[in-house]
Amino acid sequence: MSSSWFNFSFPDFSYSFLSVLLEGIPFILLGTLLSGLIDQFLPARLMARLLPRNAFLGSCVSGVLGMVFPMCECGVVPVIRRLIAKGLPVSHAVTYMLAAPIVNPIVALSTYAAFRGQSAIEMTALRLGLGFFVAVIAGLAVHHLALKYVLRPAVLESVLAFGASAEAAPRPQGIGARFGAALRVAVGDFLDVMLYFVFGVAVASVFSTSINQELLLPLSVNPWLATGTLMSFAMLLSLCSTSDAFIAATFTAFPWMAKLAFLVFGPMMDLKLVFIYSSVFRRRFVVGLLVGLFILIGLLSVRLGGVLDL
Amino acid sequence: MILLLRRLVTSGILLIWGIVLTYFYFSGRVQAYLHPNFHLALMLCGLVLILMAVAVLGVSADEECGDPQCCGALNGRPISWKNGVAWLGLVVPLLVAVKVSPSQFGATAVLNRGLVEEAAGLPFERPQVGPVVEPALPGEDPALALSPAMDSSTYLVKNAKGQIKVEAMDLLFAAEEEGLRGDFEDKESEIIGQFLPAKSNNPKGDRFNLVRLYMTCCAADARPISVTVQIPDLPKVADMTWLRVEGKVTFPVEGGRRFPLIVADSVEACDPPPDAAAY
Repeated sequence: MSSSWFNFSFPDFSYSFLSVLLEGIPFILLGTLLSGLIDQFLPARLMARLLPRNAFLGSCVSGVLGMVFPMCECGVVPVIRRLIAKGLPVSHAVTYMLAAPIVNPIVALSTYAAFRGQSAIEMTALRLGLGFFVAVIAGLAVHHLALKYVLRPAVLESVLAFGASAEAAPRPQGIGARFGAALRVAVGDFLDVMLYFVFGVAVASVFSTSINQELLLPLSVNPWLATGTLMSFAMLLSLCSTSDAFIAATFTAFPWMAKLAFLVFGPMMDLKLVFIYSSVFRRRFVVGLLVGLFILIGLLSVRLGGVLDL
Repeated sequence: MILLLRRLVTSGILLIWGIVLTYFYFSGRVQAYLHPNFHLALMLCGLVLILMAVAVLGVSADEECGDPQCCGALNGRPISWKNGVAWLGLVVPLLVAVKVSPSQFGATAVLNRGLVEEAAGLPFERPQVGPVVEPALPGEDPALALSPAMDSSTYLVKNAKGQIKVEAMDLLFAAEEEGLRGDFEDKESEIIGQFLPAKSNNPKGDRFNLVRLYMTCCAADARPISVTVQIPDLPKVADMTWLRVEGKVTFPVEGGRRFPLIVADSVEACDPPPDAAAY
């Protein structure tokens, strides 16, 4: 086998690229259809009224919403984009966006199944617990940022316009007209998010098919290196949160805290998500989120590895 | 005029995606890309996109607000070269990939992923092994309920020659579990997989790897699972050629590790099986 760390093959790239596109598009479509319905049928500020006003409690509740409204990491972005435009505090939206792909029953079941025989209950609980904790911390951090540093100008405009006009904006009359308007919104969101998705998947596919993964094995002996390596790997592979546990469980040479970091960091941030998040957030914010999540999850995972013995 | 053009472009993009998705489903090509759990969702998604494409064409001009907040950045902005590039970006990579993709990985990606040669590296739940003990029903003799596991001949699939049709994954599990090993050891078997030269564990140069890709959700997460085949005359075929191997399954211990080794009687090129990517 070639010992080169990078071996690119265009047919392999195109196969991987197409498979991720085909897997992700139904979820994105579902998310954008939902965003259209939210736009037309969810009363303005309802979410904000239902969630606790206290930032910490609001973030905590947002963090467990995935248990009731499970969404994958691709589909959740158009939904939170529309919820933000509907008056949901951005900090709550960020918490929901980061937590929903992890703190949901499907991911809990898949993680348990994948780690059966490898402390499955503990691994599942730690994944959901750490995912929730990190998402809440991230949401609280965003709470202290000015919106202009977080949201893209176009999204910020919609928030400000909403704040100025609230419910005054004219709505189509009649259920048919409202469904028509919801469809227009859904189509617009779908095209916007798909553009970022296509480019994100292309970049992720280059790395996931070209990097010689066996060269990473020697890094598994040190907890810090192992954790950082698997988190970087999660970033490059850009796996779906419902299936990544089956891949993580096969990294037998790596310590469990590195696998935990892989399972928590991957659904929150990967190469395709960098692009998809950019449809809502400022690029500088996305980069800051990437760095912050990497450091926080890495530190917490290694610390847990020192405290717990699985 | 601009609104009409914009609608036509939007509808066209949705239509192309919808047609590609439904084509993948109805042509069966989807099997090489996605786990069956996702097939129906893909087909429904394709149909919904086609319906959306038709619906977008049906929107009358006075309903089109042209507002980026409502209709999306791509949909709501005036036509410009930037939007033109974005529209192409939504369609061209997809169509190029559909045209170019070989619907299977080549040796480069497989070797980059690393061959899985032990059960611990399998991305699946381990099967339960050992005698299956069902609790006795009321009034039933408990001794009957504690009968040993069922005869393996009742669940092992055989070909027309009476050879057991084995999968690479079964053999990796069997190498580690004595209860499973008995089902295959020294039995005449048939296995289908893709050829890769053996770069290690090949002291006499008479071995090669037979690889199957197993996917969890989609091809991007597929793992190459490999078993070793031994035959005096190595097949002279290109990497990743599909082969049918017939021979005896053995589980030798070399270098302190027990592994599945097929001592082959015959090796011949064959067509990819319908489930080329196994799930």
